[in-house]
Amino acid sequence: MELHRNRKFVYMGLVILLALVYSVRIFRLQVFDNTYEQKAINNALNKIPIYPDRSIVYDRNGKLLVHNIAVYDLIVFPAKTDGVDSVSFCKLMGMEPAEFTKRMAMARESSKKRQKNNVFNGSAIFMNNLSKEQYSAIQENLYRFPGFTVEPKTDRIYAVKGGAHILGYLGEVSKKTLAKDAYYRPGDLMGITGIENTYENYIRGVRGVKTVWQDRTYTERGEVTDNEFNSPAQAGPDFYTGIDFDLQEFGESLLANKRGSVVAIEPSTGEILALINKPDYDPNLLVGPTRDKTIRQLLIDPKKPLYNRAIKGVYPPGSTFKTVMALIAAQEGVLKPNTMHGCAGGYHLGSLTVGCHPHGSPLDLKNSIGISCNAYYCQVFRDIIDNPKYNNVKAGYAALEKHLRTFGLGSPLGVDLPGESGGNVPTVKQLDRRHGKNWKSSMIISLSIGQGEILLTPLQMANMAAIIANKGWYITPHLAKGIGSQKFIPEKYRKPQYVSVSELYFNWIIEGMELVTKPGGTAFGTGVDDIVVCSKTGTAQNPHGQDHSLFIAFAPKENPKIAIAVIVENGGYGATWAAPIANLMIEKYLKKQEASSRPELLERMKNSAVQ
Amino acid sequence: MSNRYSSINDNPQLDVLSVWLYALLVLVGLLSIYSATSEVNQTFQFSFSGPAGRQLIWIGGAVIIILTIAFANVAVIDYFAYGFYGVAILLNILVLFLGKEVSGAKSWFGIGSFGIQPSEFAKVATALAVAKYLGTYGVKFKGGKNVLYTLGIVILPMLIILLQNDTGSALVFLSFFLVLYREGLPGWILLAALWIGGIAITWIVLSAKEISLLWLHGVIWSLGATVIWFSRKNRQIIIVTLLIAGISSLFSAGVGFAWKKVLKDYQRDRIELVLGLKQDVKGMGYNLEQSKIAIGAGKFVGRGYLKGTQTKMGFVPEQHTDFIFCTIAEEWGFMGVTVFFLLYTGLLWRLIILAERQSTVFGRVLGYSVLCILFFHFSINIGMTIGMVPVIGIPLPFVSFGGSSLWAFTLLLFTFLKVDEKRR
Ligand SMILES: [Zn+2]
Repeated sequence: MELHRNRKFVYMGLVILLALVYSVRIFRLQVFDNTYEQKAINNALNKIPIYPDRSIVYDRNGKLLVHNIAVYDLIVFPAKTDGVDSVSFCKLMGMEPAEFTKRMAMARESSKKRQKNNVFNGSAIFMNNLSKEQYSAIQENLYRFPGFTVEPKTDRIYAVKGGAHILGYLGEVSKKTLAKDAYYRPGDLMGITGIENTYENYIRGVRGVKTVWQDRTYTERGEVTDNEFNSPAQAGPDFYTGIDFDLQEFGESLLANKRGSVVAIEPSTGEILALINKPDYDPNLLVGPTRDKTIRQLLIDPKKPLYNRAIKGVYPPGSTFKTVMALIAAQEGVLKPNTMHGCAGGYHLGSLTVGCHPHGSPLDLKNSIGISCNAYYCQVFRDIIDNPKYNNVKAGYAALEKHLRTFGLGSPLGVDLPGESGGNVPTVKQLDRRHGKNWKSSMIISLSIGQGEILLTPLQMANMAAIIANKGWYITPHLAKGIGSQKFIPEKYRKPQYVSVSELYFNWIIEGMELVTKPGGTAFGTGVDDIVVCSKTGTAQNPHGQDHSLFIAFAPKENPKIAIAVIVENGGYGATWAAPIANLMIEKYLKKQEASSRPELLERMKNSAVQ
Repeated sequence: MSNRYSSINDNPQLDVLSVWLYALLVLVGLLSIYSATSEVNQTFQFSFSGPAGRQLIWIGGAVIIILTIAFANVAVIDYFAYGFYGVAILLNILVLFLGKEVSGAKSWFGIGSFGIQPSEFAKVATALAVAKYLGTYGVKFKGGKNVLYTLGIVILPMLIILLQNDTGSALVFLSFFLVLYREGLPGWILLAALWIGGIAITWIVLSAKEISLLWLHGVIWSLGATVIWFSRKNRQIIIVTLLIAGISSLFSAGVGFAWKKVLKDYQRDRIELVLGLKQDVKGMGYNLEQSKIAIGAGKFVGRGYLKGTQTKMGFVPEQHTDFIFCTIAEEWGFMGVTVFFLLYTGLLWRLIILAERQSTVFGRVLGYSVLCILFFHFSINIGMTIGMVPVIGIPLPFVSFGGSSLWAFTLLLFTFLKVDEKRR
């Protein structure tokens, strides 16, 4: 017995050793390693998103355009669906068994991915945007399908049938956006086009979170009362657009059954009053469970109803461009109101002929605009770029190009819509490529009358009219008039941009534009009673078919309230379609009347098809 | 020293320190069981049908056991030691035929909603029987027959419990070998056991990593060669070394056979998991990870009583029985763990002191049996929650939920305390 008495120290040693080894290990787990606390929180907390209402959208007069409707997503916790009766589920939801299997597999995948990203929620969207029938069917039978639940969120509902290209539509957030922006969850809706897209960050509001305890089987075990884990949803702020929706709808009716575009701008603010494209679509088509299917159909529609010509379509400006040419010539000192040029049925130089329609000759500046003489502007163009003060034609052209760019031409203006095109103002390099290194003014003479390499969007044409109305400046055209109670709009839509032509010269050109709707003018008969409309017709040559009918205008002459550009594709002369439509719209906007003195013109515009 | 053996204990009472430590551990257990099985945001709710309520009933039973022992005549314990052993063996055989199966093991007698696990009581009975046998006049833990009898007493219940398919409880009987060390079991046997364990683990690691097993043999024989070189004048050592190396080589081959043919899939999984050879095997890794998350989430000061979500929400398996330590660590943090360890190791330490002050072999063997059984449970139970020991389902004595284990450990501890009280 005594022999082994010292062995008690072995036992004591073992007890102390064990306690020490375990303590060190536990110390490492609890104090050194900081990851476990977060893992425990991720395990036990389920952060349920509360979707805010998106902004309600109004026009400039407070007319309701877009609001929200509650919709439901079907959510699944794949891990909890063991033994779910998929046959009766499919029957209830009107779903093919193969579809069920496919969606289940996708949900599992998404659930697994989210767990890997430390979002231990385990839920995934099984099906978004349930139809009314599906929602009421599943809602009453949820208890039969363990692992399934419905989450509310909101979809759009439109109070109007028009304005599709302004308002845009929502769609499921793309994989690319998901990868970039952690705000979104798969299956979320976001603005895909229109102001919904541009102002997504304002319009979507602030998503809230309701946090609940969940156990290992994802069963909810009560709310987390700690405020740190909960936040209410904040609806998107009221969104006022500068659109006059009465004008918009009226313009849409005028452009019915035609292909083309109208852009109207308030010159003093740059606010877009109307932005019309035809063909278009009813925005109410792109809501609800059939949205994706409808979008796919619209995308392959040969009429291209989703195409926003007003900002993406580019056209030669035709004779409307003469206004800008005259302004630049005046600024360059090569054109005075009394500068006279003759016209013998067109402009002739060697073998070159630019044709003109019959009219009296010679003409002064004012009448050259009213009558729209081609020869006059061929001469003006050559006076600008062959000016001896520039050493050669390229330097002269470069000066012209520089002026043109100050008019916001050749690059996107920066409207608050996605995908704006910049049109084209040819550079010297571009002309070199096209005409060889040694081109002369005669070889690019068609630029003088807005043909050739020069291309503008309808928005740029309308902005051109606004610049003339303002006599030398513009504010970047925009749709937002005021967001939220602070009536916020981005800085760039508040400050004027000046062109390189002085105010004085604008008066000269405006005198001429006034004559367009007067007797002898190219659009005589389309003007508005009691209102002085300053305008310019245009006919854009179209290599693919009938010429495009163009018209730009602003009114009234003093203190202008509206600047407008109209293009009717394949409409022929500017006076045929574009001028009447523009003037009817000016009348509507300024007098709140629809063709008071000439109902037959209105009827003809509304009921004629141009294809 | 000799005067101490003959001196009569003047102030007979159960060892106060031990009783206090026991009471505190039971209390910690009860509180943790309540917490682990309560809901979040729950105001105090108590029912005798809930786990905490049932544990409280069992604690009441334990108090009756303690009182009974306290007022019993110590001679009874000595007198009936073999009797208890016989009854326990019988019950453990009976349960093989009459018991109900709980998670794969047939080791429970079901009485209504309550169950009794006779294997828990077999530990107590075996401790008494070993103590009684070694304490018998003339028996020394030396010489073939006595050693064989002693081993027989230990191995019989172990085999029966293995038949019940309750590996964890059976392994607990290994702790008696640690008891026997105090009684003269040569140290080299324990070292040999370690050596064998080392070889087995090395073999498993090598084979899992697909490294040639020749390395293992190579290391064994080069170690042997080194020993022989340094003691080349001593023939005896040379022979012993050759024997050890040979047996080791043969043994490692035997490990291969056992690993592949004898162990069940889940047993292999558990071992591989702890050795870090597999990340996740049929959710075992998930359970271990959740257990570590629970402990780690406690940080230094703990998440607060009733605020441990890992256990409450069922992420930790068996959160109120075998993994009760997770609740303690999650809610009380490292500070709580330290206090808990002080309580537990305090009790173990005290048991060494008490065992050493016994004047009889019976008392000392009984004391060391209590110590070693508790030590074994503590090391395996805590070790598995922190991933240092394979997940072997044995409870944390006094703390885990469960009547059989609480009563059995109470019986074990207080029988010894009673013997200690009456020591001469
Ligand atoms: Zn002419």
